[in-house]
Amino acid sequence: MSKILFKIATPERIVFEEKIDQITLPTKMGEITLLPNHLPLVSTLIPGEILFKIDKEEIPMVVSGGFVEFNNNTLTILADTAEKVEEIDEKRAEEGRQKAKELLDKKQDMAEVDFVALSSQMEKELARLRVIRKYKKLKPRLEIKREEDNN
Amino acid sequence: MPQATKEIQRRIKSIGNTKKVTKAMEMVAASKMRKAIANVLATRSYSNLAWDLVKTLASRTDSKYHPLLEKRAKVKKIGLVLITSNRGLCSGFNAAIINRSIKYITKNEDAEVELIVLGDKGKDFMSKKGHKIVAEFEKLDITTNITEITPLAKLLVDDFIEAKYDKVVLAYTDFISTLVQKPRVLELLPINSDNVDKDLGQVTGESEKDLEHKEFEYLFEPSPDEVLSELLPRLIEMQIYQAILESDASEHSARMVAMRGASDAASDMIDDLTLIFNKARQSSITSELADISGGRMAME
Repeated sequence: MSKILFKIATPERIVFEEKIDQITLPTKMGEITLLPNHLPLVSTLIPGEILFKIDKEEIPMVVSGGFVEFNNNTLTILADTAEKVEEIDEKRAEEGRQKAKELLDKKQDMAEVDFVALSSQMEKELARLRVIRKYKKLKPRLEIKREEDNN
Repeated sequence: MPQATKEIQRRIKSIGNTKKVTKAMEMVAASKMRKAIANVLATRSYSNLAWDLVKTLASRTDSKYHPLLEKRAKVKKIGLVLITSNRGLCSGFNAAIINRSIKYITKNEDAEVELIVLGDKGKDFMSKKGHKIVAEFEKLDITTNITEITPLAKLLVDDFIEAKYDKVVLAYTDFISTLVQKPRVLELLPINSDNVDKDLGQVTGESEKDLEHKEFEYLFEPSPDEVLSELLPRLIEMQIYQAILESDASEHSARMVAMRGASDAASDMIDDLTLIFNKARQSSITSELADISGGRMAME
């Protein structure tokens, strides 16, 4: 079966590059899932979760917006920032959200540009938090299951 | 003879002082260079991917979807962004890129070229030569954030859309290695695939994808207008940012190499002069001795 060559780059580094089986992306129009041999596609990403499958394993990532291009079974994501779930520092994300929220509350009368920038900042931090919480909840359960298997 | 040795000693001392200065400048340039190179390498793969995407899109998409894709039949006015440094002492760095831009200007004689300059050196030279400078942006020593160049990118994109310019080109120095930098003129707008061989950061050697053989059209989600109007300006901005980073890294590398050369030359000169000094000292002693023994001989 054909696979998708998946590459995700941010201005700082190439975060991930691997052959994958399928991928779910948060686009402006809603979540989409791409399988191999999809039509060439270009779309914009919103802050949220990327979920892709290699063999049977599901790997989640967080992006904070960017662009996606799919063509000839090659998927390129140009993200503003992107992290794997295990790389996210929950405390930092929470602090970031708090800070953005405080600023947002405090300066009601600020220029529109700042407001938009801050809102999107908050959106990004929220996306991070959402994803990490989701997988934090999942993780213990997985571990318990494994223990049961051992017994 | 003592006169001559004193003179030589003075020169050795003065060259030693100069060497101290060039050595210090070399150190400063080296540390800036490390930072600049780290920056440029970090963003290079992203910007290469972005430029690939932009070019693929441009060749695959009808230019009616976005004004930035529109190729003008007659090029009457060109906006040239010249990226130089603020300070000299970096051997041929500024001269190379200025010459390259002049060559570009003379090649496009039938079009009027207006300059947008970054960096004092380019500004001074071009205004002396009588070229028209329409805008000047401050060139930082090391650019670290893309927001620093947003005004420049906005100006270029707006002017192109308003048809003030029919073409926008970037003149920058491509960073290939610490020892090799290459001045380059990149046609930024309109986005078309004529300039395939001129993308940034060729060191990575990423080959051009064979675009011509595959016939397909992209599916845009939600719509071509919406996606392109968000994507193109951002990726263009990225491209300008990358060009500036390349120039930063090149500038500091060139300066470091130049300063190292100067320090080495100073060391050589000190060695030579020390030898001459010793010879002069010795010959003065010998002649003094000859005088004394000659005097004694006469006395006896």
